[in-house]
Amino acid sequence: MWAISILKHQSDEIKKGAFMNGLSSVFNLLAYIAAAVFVLGFLNKVVLYFKTPSPLKIPTTPAPKTSMGVVVRLIPEVLFFRSLLKGGAAEKILWLGGWVFHVSFLLIILRHLRFFTYPVPGFVMSFQQIGIWAGLVFPLALLILIVRRFLNDRLVTITLFADYFVLGLIITIGLTGLLLKYFARTNLVDVKAFILGLLTLSPVQIPDSPMFLIHFSLVLILLVYFPFSKLMHAWGILISPTRAQVDNPQEVRHVTPWAQ
Amino acid sequence: MPTMEFEGKTYEVDEEGYLMDWSLWAEGIAGEMAKQDSLELTDAHWDVIRFLREYFEKYQIAPMIKILTKELAKKYGKEKGNTKYLYELYPAGPAKQACRYAGLPKPTGCV
Amino acid sequence: MADFKVPELTGEIITPKVTLGATSGIKPFPANEELMGKVGFPAKKSADWKVKFLAKMGEILKKYKSVRVFLDICVRCGACTDKCHYYLSTGDPRNMPVYRQELMRSVYRKYFTTSGKLFGNLAAARELSDELLEEWITYFYQCSECRRCSVFCPYGIDTAEITMAAREILDSIGIGSKYNLAIINKAETIGNNLGMGGPALRNTLDFVEEEIQEKTGVDVKLPLDVEGADILLVTPSADFFAEPHIFSLEGYAKVFHQAGVSWTLSSHASEGGNFGMFIGNYDHMKTINGRIWKAARDLKVKRVIAGECGHAWRVLYSFSNTLHGPFDFLDPNYRVPQHICDYTLDLVKKGAIKLDKAANDDFSVTFHDSCNVARASRIGNEPGGQFTIPRELINAACNKFVDMAEETIGERTFCCGGGGGVLTDELIEVRVKGAMPRMQALKRVKDSNGVNFFALICAICKAQFTKIFPYYGIEMEEVGGIHQLVGNAIVLGAKEGV
Repeated sequence: MWAISILKHQSDEIKKGAFMNGLSSVFNLLAYIAAAVFVLGFLNKVVLYFKTPSPLKIPTTPAPKTSMGVVVRLIPEVLFFRSLLKGGAAEKILWLGGWVFHVSFLLIILRHLRFFTYPVPGFVMSFQQIGIWAGLVFPLALLILIVRRFLNDRLVTITLFADYFVLGLIITIGLTGLLLKYFARTNLVDVKAFILGLLTLSPVQIPDSPMFLIHFSLVLILLVYFPFSKLMHAWGILISPTRAQVDNPQEVRHVTPWAQ
Repeated sequence: MPTMEFEGKTYEVDEEGYLMDWSLWAEGIAGEMAKQDSLELTDAHWDVIRFLREYFEKYQIAPMIKILTKELAKKYGKEKGNTKYLYELYPAGPAKQACRYAGLPKPTGCV
Repeated sequence: MADFKVPELTGEIITPKVTLGATSGIKPFPANEELMGKVGFPAKKSADWKVKFLAKMGEILKKYKSVRVFLDICVRCGACTDKCHYYLSTGDPRNMPVYRQELMRSVYRKYFTTSGKLFGNLAAARELSDELLEEWITYFYQCSECRRCSVFCPYGIDTAEITMAAREILDSIGIGSKYNLAIINKAETIGNNLGMGGPALRNTLDFVEEEIQEKTGVDVKLPLDVEGADILLVTPSADFFAEPHIFSLEGYAKVFHQAGVSWTLSSHASEGGNFGMFIGNYDHMKTINGRIWKAARDLKVKRVIAGECGHAWRVLYSFSNTLHGPFDFLDPNYRVPQHICDYTLDLVKKGAIKLDKAANDDFSVTFHDSCNVARASRIGNEPGGQFTIPRELINAACNKFVDMAEETIGERTFCCGGGGGVLTDELIEVRVKGAMPRMQALKRVKDSNGVNFFALICAICKAQFTKIFPYYGIEMEEVGGIHQLVGNAIVLGAKEGV
């Protein structure tokens, strides 16, 4: 009897092994596709924006008179969402949710670098603890961003499905990440092996964890979605003509090919 | 194209009731327009209309208000030579009402 | 007086509830076929309008980074939703900048993006239809292109760019605004927005000379088409026609007279304003602007100075050099062009002219920053000079000056409600309502400081406020230009110590 049961167990293992191999192939492939779509899609937009001319000088004034000044103008825009702070109470809440979301997202990504590096550099190690805190704050910040869209009649009017979709997608990524950390713990060695396998172009088996699969899949969806969506504001904020142009129309003649 | 009827003839006007062709104007048209606004045209009203017509024939544009009010001052005295008096005559404004009655196109621009 | 409800003056600006379609019935008069033809647009909408529409939109997307990037990157955060004076005063959601833009963005998604083509409604993509066209005509002419939204947008998205593009697309399929196109036609054929020819202009200037002579006893000249003058003054044509604009013209003339410089106006370029910008048409803007530089060359002047006009100053300051530069035929020691306030203040500081503040003691003055000066240009050398220089000049010309609330001036100034090609009577309801935020701020300084002079440096603002003040129970005479104050205060006659 026991021999049969061992055989059955072995055959289950083999079946499972085959399944995991198949699944790994699929995910490895999807990961490469998603990464390619993200990188090429993003670059495509960067090039498109670069090639589209600004025929006229349209900085929102007062604006800096030098390129260095523009850098100085953009830094607080990028780091502290300065323009948002010019608004009223609604924007203060938005600022809080938005800023905490972006910063914690950054810290979480930095923390995740330990899966992408071997040996893990010191600076990545220094982000481990703060990365955990960021992971806890992250869904709360997103919750603010979601809830505010329901509470204000102007936001209800302007919000599109796409806005809920991307907020929902990102908060689910955060929550599955927390579940992986605290409840559905995965073998981190497997995760790291999988990621490094992807990076070194020698793919290995994907970790045997449904929660990880969900978490990882959602990240891939986010990567693919990114270049085709409003998430391109990440690049747009740097090149928006009203903010990135120098206010020197009299000093330097601004000319573009079609508009002479 | 909207029109207005006067003594059996049809005149083309624009959306706001200004004559499309100022040369087709006749004095009765001003009276007809005033009647529709329940406004009675006095001699002072007619002086404005005639001055506007004369100026327009010479310069192809209505005069600025100041020139018009000065003309009124010459005839009716200083206390009536001002924009306020002009608005008493033409409550909707000299451009909107007086020019229209005079058959002139509405002055447009940043005015 | 009005067949709509004029907002009550309380001193407070309260964000209204969303009211769908509150201003849906308010549209500009269409330009007729003859006028459309004159300015080079198709006479009317044709059966294949959708093809033309998308072709023009595609062209704009390739030509304007602003439009392309702005359509892509808006995250609908809502920061702009309560910043537009038209939304604040009407509650119509299409007057929220983001939702106004959505009229174009939805079409962009449908025809120019992968997601829109694939997912349609789910991606909020909208097909072209007559209904959509009506919304475009309505709401892209309820935007005054004032750029206030752009200040508060985390990415600087400027609805003015979208509105200009939309109007350009509408024109290209044969749908134009009578008001804007009639003005463009007059500026290009006669030389100014009013359609005032040379003889009428000379007659008007003679009249102004007489006025000054009568009032001051001084022989101040207003020269026209004088070859070899040092300075060409380019001012909005309203300065030759309307009140209070004309009083600023008197002010400029007195300043030039007392400074002892030779100057001239031009009948060929008797207009600073440029409605080509309002309709987003590069060629018209260039043509109208070109008249100024041709006049400057023909008259062999050394400098060009711009009078009190907001959007004119934007085109002159920000775009001229691109459109018709370089200006190496002018004196390089001066800004090309220079703003009249900058010029006058400099004379005051140098002691070349003297202002007697007491002459304006009847007035308690406040200053309205006009949008195109505040958010789309600069006066003088330093960023923000567009705020400080006019105020310094006012303070040099009068004793009592007070600013309105900080969140309603400077870069956050509220539009007069009539800018950007909206200053036409069929839009009077949105004009009156759109002025509400500015009127509330004014109400507060009227109550606290007895303000009775509303100083401006924009012809559109002057015309708009003169018209709508009475709706709010304020005398139209309280509106005036800065150079009206300067003209009152300037000490004419022999200079002391010279």
